[in-house]
Amino acid sequence: MSESSKIPFNNPGWAGNTGEFDLTEAQVRGDDYVGKRPPEGGHPSGASSYPYMLADKHPDAPLFEGPYKERWEKLRTRYPNARSALLPTLGMAQELRGHLSPETLDQVAKLLDLPPAYVRGVATFYTMYNKRPVGRFLIQVCTNISCNLCGGEDVLQAFLNNTGTELGETSEDGNFTVIEAECLAGCGFPTTVQINSRYYENVTPKDVPGILERLKAQGE
Amino acid sequence: MAYPYTHAKEVRLLSKHFGDPEARTLQGWKARGGYQALPRAFELGREKVIDEVKASGLRGRGGAGFPAGVKWSFMPKERTRPHYLLCNADESEPGTFKDRELLRWTPHQVIEGMAIAAYATGAEHAYIYCRGEFFETTQVFARAVEEAYEAGILGKDSMGSGVKIDLTVHVGAGAYICGEETGLMNSLEGRRGQPRVKPPFPAQAGYMGMPSTVNNVETLSSVPFIVTNGGEAYRAYGTPDSPGTKLFCVSGHVRRPGNYELPLGFPLMELIDDVCGGMREGRSLKGVIPGGSSVPILNAEECRDCLLSYEGVVKAGSQLGCASVIVMDDSTDIVKQVRRMVGFYAHESCGQCTPCREGSAWVEKILRRIEDGRGTEEDLDTLVEVTTQMEGTTICVLSDSVAAPVKSSINKFRGEYLARIRTGEKVGAV
Repeated sequence: MSESSKIPFNNPGWAGNTGEFDLTEAQVRGDDYVGKRPPEGGHPSGASSYPYMLADKHPDAPLFEGPYKERWEKLRTRYPNARSALLPTLGMAQELRGHLSPETLDQVAKLLDLPPAYVRGVATFYTMYNKRPVGRFLIQVCTNISCNLCGGEDVLQAFLNNTGTELGETSEDGNFTVIEAECLAGCGFPTTVQINSRYYENVTPKDVPGILERLKAQGE
Repeated sequence: MAYPYTHAKEVRLLSKHFGDPEARTLQGWKARGGYQALPRAFELGREKVIDEVKASGLRGRGGAGFPAGVKWSFMPKERTRPHYLLCNADESEPGTFKDRELLRWTPHQVIEGMAIAAYATGAEHAYIYCRGEFFETTQVFARAVEEAYEAGILGKDSMGSGVKIDLTVHVGAGAYICGEETGLMNSLEGRRGQPRVKPPFPAQAGYMGMPSTVNNVETLSSVPFIVTNGGEAYRAYGTPDSPGTKLFCVSGHVRRPGNYELPLGFPLMELIDDVCGGMREGRSLKGVIPGGSSVPILNAEECRDCLLSYEGVVKAGSQLGCASVIVMDDSTDIVKQVRRMVGFYAHESCGQCTPCREGSAWVEKILRRIEDGRGTEEDLDTLVEVTTQMEGTTICVLSDSVAAPVKSSINKFRGEYLARIRTGEKVGAV
């Protein structure tokens, strides 16, 4: 790994893969600046924005206990009424459980005193709420116009081939779900791939096996 | 540390500190001249801040290009009800990648712009609607907000002025339509992000039915410069109708894609050939989408004299939108790319209005049929007819965004469609 690639956020854009993929999660987030945070978080203003990881999945975890409850209460103070806190609440529930099952949605509805059907209606409108369980790593490959022009579909195919899955299906070991994403706002650095919370830019098909190896190693 | 893709022709008012990790911290940002505009705004008073922004001629950077100062002046002067300022960071127009860079490299610039705008519009609470996919970006931004709270820049008594400014980071959940201002407000209220009928406009009844202003990240980022240096200084760049600088997001088949901050009115061909290093080896220009996927495609001929200002791009036959320049060379398969764009809109249509919900789905099906070589020549007329009926018949402009690429491509690249229909022959590779 070169010296410059150790610097977080050192993304050289068009210059191709210069070791960015070798950075750790902490380096990409810039933990030196963002800091290590307790799960209940700091100031209420940003309570809906972290933790960033969706990887820890406990489908049976209780809905908002302990630090999560504190965080949720902070978050709730930032919105004028219960309904407007619905999206961040759903986001937190998904953080804990990995996906929003009908039971989870009912629990959220109860918590916010909203009709269950209404909560379900909202949750199904937004694509980022997983209504079904997904793999430990949710791989979203952008195939919209800018990435498509630069070979996004080949990258998607490479991910499918290397994980041995069909689009939207979870691999047998429960590690990977590969889906096609709409524009991820990384158009200048094609192909942009989002894996859980992290962006990988300038991904080419030949980078794919290496990325998957690293992810697998992370999980063990 | 120089941001990797800079160019000598850039005028870096907003993007000067891109690539500099120090600039993300409060201390670093102050050392670089940050947080001078906000006290100045308190000194000037609400009216004068709005006048200064009006004088600068700053136009909304989210796509519509509506003058920001004028928008602020629509807010009621009397504060009998809560006012809200909403920052639109739901960047999801295909081809656009500027707001993410502004948020992750210069979060304090955005916070300062939001605080000034909140003060000017009489809002005590500002929300930033961040796109759900931007985990890292939101992290950086939320940390900056915490720093600003700790330093007393945000909170009950902003910088000792007695003005209350609260800021909340709100995270979306992946819906393109939430970038539309009324869709954004609905989503922020915990509803489905379906746009509302206007009027009433947000300044009368916006978030929670209260007077609200919605501005793009880049618009608000430009505000500190204007307040510090005055509207006239901002007008030194750009054209009389499109003052100032703009981040141009260049993507597609150029050698050096990226964000380049240039004065408005910059020639398109100079941007492609000089700033972005030209087309890839041995390739020639086929077409350009100058403002994100919602605007008409320009062919190579129309690009030649096109100037990148709001009025200049209209003259060339398209719109500047959010200045997302998507460059396509001669290897591009127009039929496929248009189908891909329409597929995006069909996926993102909120389903409220029939012309959009049914139209976008059917247009995609017809385009796929043509792409697979099963189309007929009448299909082209059908496409034009369907998309014509989609224009101006719906609550928001997503439906019009389907029509733009379809109609312009049939008009300008009819030969490619016909070749596909008659012989099944592909013109381009990608």
